Amino acid sequence: MTVDNQNLESGAMRFEVIKAALKGGAAARLGRLAFARRLPIDTPNYMGVTSRGALPHLTPDNVSKHLETTGAYMALEDFIERPQQYAKRTPPIYETPTTTKHNTRLHSFTALPQSVTTVLSARRLPAVASPMGNTNASVSVFTSTGFQVLTTKEYLSAVKTLTPDIAIPPADLTHSPITPNSKRALRMAERTDEWVVDWFSELSDSNNPRISTFAPVLPVSYSIQWEYISRLAEDYLPTSQLSGLAIYDADLLPDLAEHCAALVPLPRLSLADPPTPHHILRQITLGIDLFALPFINTISDAGLALSFTFPPPTTTNTSSVSESSSSCTGGPSPLAIDLSLPAHATSLLPLTPNCTCYACTSHHRAYIHHLLSAREMLGWTLLQIHNHAIMSAFFAGVRSMLAQGVAQEGNFDEAVRRFTLAYEPEFPEGVGQRPRARGYQYKSVGGGEGRRNKPAWSKLDGKAQDEEDGRIEA
Amino acid sequence: MASNRTFTSPALTFELVARCPVTRARASILTLPHGAVNLPIFMPVATQASLKGLTPEQLEATGCRLCLNNTYHLGLKPGQEVLDAVGGAHKLQGWNHNILTDSGGFQMVSLLKLANITEEGVRFLSPHDGSPMLLTPEHSMSLQNSIGSDIMMQLDDVLVTTSPDKARMREAMERSVRWLDRCIAAHKNPDTQNLFCIIQGGLDLDMRRECCREMLARNTPGIAIGGLSGGEAKDDFCKVVAACTELLPDLKPRYVMGIGYPEDLVVSVALGADMFDCVWPTRTARFGNAITKHGMLNMKREMYAADFGPIEEGCGCPCCRPTEEEGAMGITRAFVHHNAAKETVAAHLLTLHNVWYQLDLMRQARQAIIEDRFPAFVKGFFGNLYPDRNSYPTWAVDALRGVGIDLIQT
Repeated sequence: MTVDNQNLESGAMRFEVIKAALKGGAAARLGRLAFARRLPIDTPNYMGVTSRGALPHLTPDNVSKHLETTGAYMALEDFIERPQQYAKRTPPIYETPTTTKHNTRLHSFTALPQSVTTVLSARRLPAVASPMGNTNASVSVFTSTGFQVLTTKEYLSAVKTLTPDIAIPPADLTHSPITPNSKRALRMAERTDEWVVDWFSELSDSNNPRISTFAPVLPVSYSIQWEYISRLAEDYLPTSQLSGLAIYDADLLPDLAEHCAALVPLPRLSLADPPTPHHILRQITLGIDLFALPFINTISDAGLALSFTFPPPTTTNTSSVSESSSSCTGGPSPLAIDLSLPAHATSLLPLTPNCTCYACTSHHRAYIHHLLSAREMLGWTLLQIHNHAIMSAFFAGVRSMLAQGVAQEGNFDEAVRRFTLAYEPEFPEGVGQRPRARGYQYKSVGGGEGRRNKPAWSKLDGKAQDEEDGRIEA
Repeated sequence: MASNRTFTSPALTFELVARCPVTRARASILTLPHGAVNLPIFMPVATQASLKGLTPEQLEATGCRLCLNNTYHLGLKPGQEVLDAVGGAHKLQGWNHNILTDSGGFQMVSLLKLANITEEGVRFLSPHDGSPMLLTPEHSMSLQNSIGSDIMMQLDDVLVTTSPDKARMREAMERSVRWLDRCIAAHKNPDTQNLFCIIQGGLDLDMRRECCREMLARNTPGIAIGGLSGGEAKDDFCKVVAACTELLPDLKPRYVMGIGYPEDLVVSVALGADMFDCVWPTRTARFGNAITKHGMLNMKREMYAADFGPIEEGCGCPCCRPTEEEGAMGITRAFVHHNAAKETVAAHLLTLHNVWYQLDLMRQARQAIIEDRFPAFVKGFFGNLYPDRNSYPTWAVDALRGVGIDLIQT
């Protein structure tokens, strides 16, 4: 019914809202986002979050063969480290030649399959908070060689060089769980506003029709950033320079729809890091179209296999009782199963019943349990393949319920409610050991966190390591 | 049972396809319970039932049809009970091709401080809880029967070859023979699993020959030369291999254990060996090293940071093959450099490349033997690896001269 096209003339990006709720603005909607030479993305959908240009544990051949993922989130800070002896070097990624198989530098450098849509942002998701903070002309980023300053100018020039499909302009974010005070929040809005103005003036005079800008919407209240958001709607929407919104807090969407209806047709990418599928569903009902989902990586590293479906299995239909543990006993089912638990040691079952992913069709729980217990890297690879498959199926289920909603309004909402009841509110923690954490992923704050993993080696005559103390509590 | 070109035993068929008229190199087909493999062959080591981050599907795509598992490791994790419950190592790892397992004996060398060897078996402390454990020939067979490997190795008394203690060396050799008898007696599935003997005797060629005769009398379907690659000089290694292959029957596979450097493989093939295994190609991959025909490249070096060529020009592995070809990933040295020692993906990519390189080297050697140009292949191989003939390693020149190839003369 509501169909909106963006940038039809340039052909760079096309977003159609196939079905939106009649009541208007902030509600779940069905759409399709398409970029030239990429697989179209049916929305709502998600993209994987890369680390240093790779979906963790997945080589590009496994990505093409075993993942349905149509998008990848990349962070510039993963590519611009300055090794001490070569501090003056140009980041190699800027010089990557493109090929027929990889038509952007970003694809070419990372060997990411060409069909996958790329999003480039300055910072990883989630980002490590910087002790230095941002300045009026730069953001502080965290590379594998430490914190460094990334000027908004350098970031823009990187975007022009790397030509991601979607670029997120720099945003003045604190990357801290603490809500900024109103003075800081106001400065966040002002700086981001200035940076976005610079961004569009610089990007407009260059020949980069391929780059679609998704402007950041800050995680501060609408009243603080209304000037900035109005500017987006008034100055950059009519010129088609603005292609979408990068949402850091989905709860702003109702305000946005109410006060800035002009922005409603734009695709909305959530960078709000929803911690569970319950949060995803909530954000979908607020109108998010596309998600970057860091939790998939964390879940796989924790030795967990996602085990939910959307819509949730109907308990009344006894003929198709699933094998999942507690569906009959009445309690909510777990969102993921912990493959490190000894219960799986001899289980020849797939990770979840009916899953068609490579891990489930070619392997079984006993193998993945063994791999995790032996700390073999393949365990995390297979879990990644499975967990991406579950997320793809989850979003396919969401879209199918939304499509049915055309006939029966409320179908989707009903399924969301049942999902909330059918599954536990949080993921299990995962008792297994994680892969070794790297410096660019994690920064000790004040020290004393303890070790998550047992040391691999110790002195022969040393006493048995106090194994349990090795892990971080919390 | 044995025809001119073919040897058959209950769980194995060995067919000699071609021999190099100059050297002792042979090309053959070894048919095992999980399919045929072409010899000479390099067998990658999937120590804990996983080839270091590669999916069985990726390993299969490199052309690998026979890989190793380690009995010692699988005995600890997942343990014999789990292996029995799951139905063996093939089922555990979803690998429908062949598996070879060692006996757990090699870990005696690496864990010698912990191990105490008696006639009964090897006593050692469990690395899990420090409790004393005993590995006997019977227990090793029982474990390997539970694993269900297509080729099992006897438990042998392994001693570092450089050990100066002659009496201990003789004891180890003779004990290995006695243990083979116990292994044969304890082996429950001789119709579906092959048990190979292991020739010991250190660097003493007479002791090796004596061991060969004793072992051959037991008529196992295949023969391994063990105890090498423990730090001995390369020319000593070559002498041992040459002394053994001279005595071994033509129609049985010959496996030199623990060999993996490309030069060692090529020279050993020339000396008449057929099968090799080593963790080095996959281990060095995790350290950021790529094996190429021009030697090893450390991808972590800054010189590769902006090198947008493939890991090895002309290589056919999924990382390197030209991007137009099916299944090509278009991996650059720069990307491997970018993630080496940072993301596991870089290790996986180099593992894929290195395993491909090793398997392909043996494929090329085999093809050369069949096409009667093996000496030229060997010369070409060393020509690629070294800048000039003066830098060829003496041990290789000498060993190859012994089988009719003169690397220095054209």
